Amino acid sequence: MRVDVRALGACNRLAEQGARRAADALSDLTGTDLAVEVTGASVASGQDLAEAFAGRESIGVSVGLRGGLDGEAVLAFDAVNADALLSLLPGGGAMERSAVTEVGNIALGGFLDGWADYLGTAIDMSPPRYFEADGAAVLPDGALAGDGVFLFESRLDATTTDLDFSIYMLPDSGPFRDLIVGRTAPAAASGDAPASAANGGAASTAVPYESLSTFSSLAKEGSANAADNIAMMTGLETSVDVSRLRFVPLADVPAEVGTDPHAGTVFELQGEPSGYLAILFEESSAATVADAMLPMDPDEPLGDMAENALCELGNVMTSGFIDGWANVLGTSISHSPPEFVHDIGAATVSPLVAQLSEHQDYGFVIDAAIRTEGVRARCDVYALPDERELARALDRLSDA
Amino acid sequence: MTRPSPTDGGSSGPTGGETAGDGRIKVGVGELAVATAGETLATSGLGSCVAVALVDGDAGVRGLLHAMLPSGGDRTAAAARPAKYVDTGVDALLGELDDAGADPRRIEARVAGGAEMLDLTDAVGPRNVERVAEVLDAAGVPIVASDVGDDVGRTVRLRSNGRLVVRAADGFERSI
Repeated sequence: MRVDVRALGACNRLAEQGARRAADALSDLTGTDLAVEVTGASVASGQDLAEAFAGRESIGVSVGLRGGLDGEAVLAFDAVNADALLSLLPGGGAMERSAVTEVGNIALGGFLDGWADYLGTAIDMSPPRYFEADGAAVLPDGALAGDGVFLFESRLDATTTDLDFSIYMLPDSGPFRDLIVGRTAPAAASGDAPASAANGGAASTAVPYESLSTFSSLAKEGSANAADNIAMMTGLETSVDVSRLRFVPLADVPAEVGTDPHAGTVFELQGEPSGYLAILFEESSAATVADAMLPMDPDEPLGDMAENALCELGNVMTSGFIDGWANVLGTSISHSPPEFVHDIGAATVSPLVAQLSEHQDYGFVIDAAIRTEGVRARCDVYALPDERELARALDRLSDA
Repeated sequence: MTRPSPTDGGSSGPTGGETAGDGRIKVGVGELAVATAGETLATSGLGSCVAVALVDGDAGVRGLLHAMLPSGGDRTAAAARPAKYVDTGVDALLGELDDAGADPRRIEARVAGGAEMLDLTDAVGPRNVERVAEVLDAAGVPIVASDVGDDVGRTVRLRSNGRLVVRAADGFERSI
């Protein structure tokens, strides 16, 4: 069975509409303007999710789904945001449990209405269940089992106060798989035979369903290699915090990077897949890392010496990253020399996003936060591969 | 799909009420919005993207577009999200301003962004700026001020007085 990766784009759009409805419902309830900042669909293995959620505490609400969509949906707030949320709600902190349950129920109802409309069928929600959870226990039951699950996360942003939360939906993979395939172009859906997808046209973004779980390996292998290379070069102990591959509207990527000043390096990738890779540090982290790499104190925090150090670091990280990809995909990928960037984070990625947007609306973004021990610094890696070429590489992989 | 313009949301339209009058409307990448009261329209993280602010001062109607690419051409994506492209975005914004009571003959434009952030990508910033000039010229809308090009990121706010406040990544701010 083949799945068109663009069908995931459609799912993402749906999740975005759903999140917007959830935001509207919440705005009405709290009297606060809420905007949908980012919606992403991700494919992640149970182990990746467990690692990504380690150390996080959440409160939220879960509902079971029956009908048009079977599975479970969860709306979760970081426990640290709970006070901000409660201050917005009628009844305030005294009503914690019931207020959160009510919010969750309304928002999830709004979210699921969008899916029900799309499917043209009703989705039944079981009564909401309030929970407080540590780590990955927040995720729907079953998210940690198996080796490839779909999750839809939406972050809502309150304009007047600091509040964001996520909606996770884990449709039982069987029916959901049918849904994706059912919405896939006939050429892609009917191609049970492992025909080469290199023939262009509608099927050129279709990949075998099974290879979707390979996506999470791409994120993981790449960032682990990059972290190893930093350790080798700097002698600093490094670890990878979060590493996931998501399908997001490309236009949302700059907002995700944010408006804080960042410094780092950008690379163009050539091969299968081509694309771009940006390694961005917040300013203070960039200065700290450069400082740790230089034999003497630099003349200025992010001057020429620091720039050279960060370019060198970017080079080894990118090599590590694409080596990891090439291993997973069995392809060869090369990268351009580093280009140093130091500007508003969103502005530095905007040309990359624009360039890819000429041909695609959605991108696969790999988030990897690499942390160095001892020296407090972290960076985010945004890998933006060409979707057709990535699909082609995945397709060949499954043929082998 | 396009995000609904904030003017459709009721909080910022002509009937938006007092509190909305001092509000701030955030315009994301590939989005546009119109304001008819005292709100500030803001968009941040402009690199190669371009911001086009259109104002009919007499009618008190203002709009801001944050476009990513020069031309939508006949792409279906352009129909789905016109504000992603300069040409379809300016058309859509002019349409919304018209609906909000602006007189096309009075509209003036201010333009910011279109930086050449990277050598790696092929000059999408300058191409965006060029396209803005062409499209506005064809629509008969004069550009009264601009802060474009270079290799610097910008954040802009369109004030209720019609001035565009442009803040560069280094913190330097000017009103055009």
